Amino acid sequence: MTAYQLSLVMLACISVITVSGVFTMTSLAGMFSLGQAAYMSICAYLTFVLARYLDWPIWFTAILGLLASGLVAFIISLPALKLRRDYFALLSVGFGEMVGAIVILLGKWTNAAVGFSKIPKVNGLVWIVLGITVLIVFMVRNLKYSRFGRMAIALKTDEIAARSFGINVYRLKVKIYVIASIIAGVGGICFGLRNRVIAPDSFDWSLSAEMQILLFFGGTNSLSGSAVSAASLKVLPELLKGVKLFGMELQDFKTIIYCVLIILIINFRTKGLMGEQEFSLAPIKKLAKKLNRQHKKEIAK
Amino acid sequence: MKPVILKTTNLHKNFGGVKAVSDFSFEVREGEILAIIGPNGAGKTTIFNLLSKIYEPDSGTIEFDGRDITKTSQIDVARLGISRTFQNARLFTGLNVLDNVKVALDYNARYSLIEAMLMLPRRWKYEKETSRAAKECLELLNLYEYADKRPDNLPYGLQRRVEIARALVVNPKVLMLDEPAAGLNPEEVFQLMDFLREIREKYPETAILIIEHRMDLVMNICEYIYVQDFGVTIAKGEPAEIQCNPHVLKAYLGEED
Ligand SMILES: Nc1ncnc2c1ncn2[C@@H]1O[C@H](COP(=O)(O)OP(=O)(O)OP(=O)(O)O)[C@@H](O)[C@H]1O
Ligand SMILES: [Mg+2]
Repeated sequence: MTAYQLSLVMLACISVITVSGVFTMTSLAGMFSLGQAAYMSICAYLTFVLARYLDWPIWFTAILGLLASGLVAFIISLPALKLRRDYFALLSVGFGEMVGAIVILLGKWTNAAVGFSKIPKVNGLVWIVLGITVLIVFMVRNLKYSRFGRMAIALKTDEIAARSFGINVYRLKVKIYVIASIIAGVGGICFGLRNRVIAPDSFDWSLSAEMQILLFFGGTNSLSGSAVSAASLKVLPELLKGVKLFGMELQDFKTIIYCVLIILIINFRTKGLMGEQEFSLAPIKKLAKKLNRQHKKEIAK
Repeated sequence: MKPVILKTTNLHKNFGGVKAVSDFSFEVREGEILAIIGPNGAGKTTIFNLLSKIYEPDSGTIEFDGRDITKTSQIDVARLGISRTFQNARLFTGLNVLDNVKVALDYNARYSLIEAMLMLPRRWKYEKETSRAAKECLELLNLYEYADKRPDNLPYGLQRRVEIARALVVNPKVLMLDEPAAGLNPEEVFQLMDFLREIREKYPETAILIIEHRMDLVMNICEYIYVQDFGVTIAKGEPAEIQCNPHVLKAYLGEED
């Protein structure tokens, strides 16, 4: 594969990672946030800036970065998750902007708006990123089919009823928000390693919004659906690069295309393309069994 | 006589100027079936909401199993073993029937978030246990065939039964049913009565509290009845006494005109 193709694969993977993080938060627990990109930012900056100035190994600073994302998410969530959901969403936008402002304030280390580019090159990065993506999707899937997934879906539908089954709604929300933010952090590190430069506006609220859109498009409650939409919708505009329509770059229509897609989805499939369905191997297994049976019959004849 | 499991003394609850519940005192014994009846707006649901701690009482005390739970949180009261259904079946629409029942047990399963995400052994062990208990409950109540159906695809009568199963799976000491027959057609009401009798046999330790409008249903299965009107208990006694109590007849006739 060419370097360009590899970078597209990584782009898709990073999108899948970040959307999986949003999935745990929004699809499982019904928390809508426009600030998840801020956790990518926190984690990426900490990882690369610490690695650069303290000369620590990158895997170590990455762990520190992830812990910091989790910690910040924990501190933010304590008051924020007591709020009504709409206020929480509003607050998350403010939080995202704040993180961007802090990055600029710390310009001495972060190189402010110009962007921080002293990011080491990692060999075989694509395999690492692929591995991490598979791991994250696997873990989020497990979460969905565990007691935490069920309790989250319960509290999303009806908090009062959830409490009357002994579910500690607030604590569970905090836990899930922290997990979601750590996953966003993982996405942030991969983003930095791929692009080799990070700037405050790589992680502004429009990226957070994009994650929500990709999730929503694939299916509000379908992990596999949203993973597929995260990968394909993210890569599609790149493939359209250079394609011209009426003398204009098709890529410039990205936002318009996204919006049209969303309007179509809202009108025709209110729960996203896949809704609550997951892609599964069941139909393939069925087919295999059927073929097998036919085969046996023929042998019996 | 069996011991008292749930007891309230002089409960009061006002909403603005409305006295939703005033001076409500009652006792429930282990394994008893007790009904609270009364016309619309009598404060029946409010009593349940006070008992399950969705609302704080303005004054009065609630005692459960020998301890004062007046200040206990909604979550802890549920964990102690007071289970309930809601007036308008509030099943979790995002989960299928089996998961709806499992989720009632989930707070108690002992595996952590990390164990869940990495599929560690304890996750398998406790998940299996939860599934077994939930399936057993559904089988006991003849609902197992609907296990993988979404609740919103079921007829209302079945939804109500699933809701009762979800409340029962934790083996509660007190089960509170808020108008289990509301919105059911006559045939479904009969099925529900049979269902309640079955529960009586299969969970003999559980005390059952039923809110109901319909006299016929209550008279058939309950041992003791409290009649509420405008927040006040206007009568209490065994079904036969209640049936010919002039206050009760007045409250009900007054409603029907
Ligand atoms: N959260 C609330 N805020 C304000 N008023 C309330 C609230 N809940 C109940 N009320 C009022 O308290 C009174 C009792 O209501 P409640 O729902 O307990 O009656 P009910 O006996 O259950 O009636 P129904 O048979 O219609 O279910 C009503 O006048 C109602 O309007
Ligand atoms: Mg009511």
